[in-house]
Amino acid sequence: MSDALREWLERAARRPDRGITFVDRRERETTVPWPDLVARASEVAGGLLALGVEPGDRVALAFPTGEGFLAAFLGALAAGAAPAPLPPPSRLGNVDEQQRRLAAMLAAAAPRLVLADAPLLPLLREPVASVRPALRLLALDELPRAVADPVDVDEETLGLVQFSSGTTGSPKPVALSRRALAVQARLLNALWPEAAAGDGAPHEQSEPSAVHERSEPPAVFGHRGFSWLPLHHDMGLVGCVLPALERPADLWLLPPEAFVAKPALWLRGIARARATVSAAPTFAFARALRRVRDEELDGVDLSSWRHALCGAEAVSPQTLDEFARRFARWGFRREALTPVYGLAEAGLAVTFGALDTPFTVGRFDRRALLAGRAVADPHGREIAGVGRPLPGFAVAARDDDGRDLPAGRVGGIWVRGPSLMEGYLGDAEATAEALRDGWLDTGDLGFVDAQGELYLVGRRKDLVIVRGRNHAPEEIEEAVASVAGVRQGGVAALGWLPERAAEEELLLLVERARGDVVDGVAVLAAACRDAVRARVGVEAGSVAVLPPGTLPRTSSGKLRRTEALRRWLAGELATAGVDPAGVAAAAADETSRAKGEGMDSAANGESIGHAANHEVFGGAANGDDAGAAGNGESIGSAANGVGRGAAASAEGLGSASSRARSPERG
Amino acid sequence: MDPAAAISLGEIRGTLAEIAAKLGFSGPLTPELRLVEDLRLDSVGILTLAVEVEDRFRICLDAADEAAIRTIGDLERVLRAKLET
Repeated sequence: MSDALREWLERAARRPDRGITFVDRRERETTVPWPDLVARASEVAGGLLALGVEPGDRVALAFPTGEGFLAAFLGALAAGAAPAPLPPPSRLGNVDEQQRRLAAMLAAAAPRLVLADAPLLPLLREPVASVRPALRLLALDELPRAVADPVDVDEETLGLVQFSSGTTGSPKPVALSRRALAVQARLLNALWPEAAAGDGAPHEQSEPSAVHERSEPPAVFGHRGFSWLPLHHDMGLVGCVLPALERPADLWLLPPEAFVAKPALWLRGIARARATVSAAPTFAFARALRRVRDEELDGVDLSSWRHALCGAEAVSPQTLDEFARRFARWGFRREALTPVYGLAEAGLAVTFGALDTPFTVGRFDRRALLAGRAVADPHGREIAGVGRPLPGFAVAARDDDGRDLPAGRVGGIWVRGPSLMEGYLGDAEATAEALRDGWLDTGDLGFVDAQGELYLVGRRKDLVIVRGRNHAPEEIEEAVASVAGVRQGGVAALGWLPERAAEEELLLLVERARGDVVDGVAVLAAACRDAVRARVGVEAGSVAVLPPGTLPRTSSGKLRRTEALRRWLAGELATAGVDPAGVAAAAADETSRAKGEGMDSAANGESIGHAANHEVFGGAANGDDAGAAGNGESIGSAANGVGRGAAASAEGLGSASSRARSPERG
Repeated sequence: MDPAAAISLGEIRGTLAEIAAKLGFSGPLTPELRLVEDLRLDSVGILTLAVEVEDRFRICLDAADEAAIRTIGDLERVLRAKLET
């Protein structure tokens, strides 16, 4: 069957009244109408076809947010090829790590060629050169000059290679068909249809802010998106760009680095655009809460923001609640907040919270949850519902044997729907593991309530088991997150079996907040223990305090717990076990330079950190309540584990190249 | 700051120190300090650093002719070269 993407490109070429507005960090706006974008795409397509690119061939893209990305992305689609967007490399920081990661992605995507923003070419030469067979690396203006109309290809043709953010270990290339892309874009647009009467009319409705307290959605004629999400990320690309193309609609794009440096640009941009839809992970709502100053919002009116979608990571009801309260002054409506759930492997969105209504928060008995049952408890753990399946989708909680569980029973979340991936590109084994009989194993842990609402309680593969009881790491991490001096989102709770220990223990890897640790690392670690003990009732086996930003994350910022544990055991994680932090850093640096270890010197310096930690936490642990007799034992074995880590790192981590400190954007 | 005006290394260092302090680094800023390992900048920190540097010095760090910037010294060299031309 002929595919929809070609049709959409042709349709967009006839809509000069709509387009994409690129906002830079000085808030300058450049609008490129859809016909201009399609014209540029036709040039790219012509060049690709002249080079012999065929339907389903991968074309890797490395561009920052901008017109070049759109030209290359739409051009690849117009040529019948499958774009494979990569995170654009940066010159700053851990460049070598970034290059290793890019090389791995290129190897996995096996593209026909690589298109890149001209300034990025030097940073891409090495990773591209590492790939066999040899690849061409081109800037857009190096393509052969030719113009081609969109190619007619079968809709089952590979349409996009999206690097998954939902996997541990190295990123996996998710293969989506053109049909899957079309289905997703249509499903998303169907959620907020445009009013036919005022179609295309600018929406100038400016409401007095007193009206915003009740659920009184603003009248909307044309929906307009605003996004700072990276375009190599599924929520930014499949969630924002493709629906805008399908309609075609206006879409405003802000580079992710601009949001990260100045979160106010997000809110100000939404207000200037009079945008109706903007999506982001919880972390972004939290960052806006912390970093946006009131005076930056002078004259800002957020009342147009009808759908504030929150997904791509666990949804924190507390963060959303605070966000709604804080920004109500600027016209933000609580009803706009909509938790959503999806993953690259499903083509993106799977469930959506009810629109235009306050988001659902359930409170569930902790013990019962651990035992696999959702039992309402007004003092229990707060979990945001992430909504119900989109049309055509089905969600099931299953037990370990793959049997469907009844409502309210916690299990692995499986998904069926019209936009599931074809598989992981070139990885039949991983594909067979994830896809079974038309169902996708998400690796997430959760339950569906009697009303069909999905609740996620953690990731199946990251379970922490302490004293035979199961804990979702998120719950423990939430407890630690409340401790002053802990970096937002910088906590990993891991279950592991230390050598010679009789049972699994809880390991807390805790990133301290920026700046010096005021009361010292030992005090911070003790406070973390206290919080976990108080909130979850579990005694941590060991606590390691790490410098900010050292826990491994996926390109979308999700914690990679399994990898964090692996690095910890291998002695690859730097600890901030010496107070003050500045002294520790200097000491570590001296050691590493003395050993001449270059890139791995950070890891080497850690042996100092480990050793110090060992002492610090031994002391802290001894000072703990003398309650449990079993405590001393588990602390002893935890210390062993730490000691082993230290030994490993002292033995020379020249070989242990700390893989994938994610060079992610946003 | 007028990019055409000559700028001393001291001025560059001073501005970088202000930016580093904003990013949570408290020690004295020296050329051998590495951005990731020593300043402890994560990906968000690196992005913020890039934006701050470009804003304060009014330059673009993404120019094609430059090598990787791993340390404060690398950054200072790039800034001097850019600000002198």
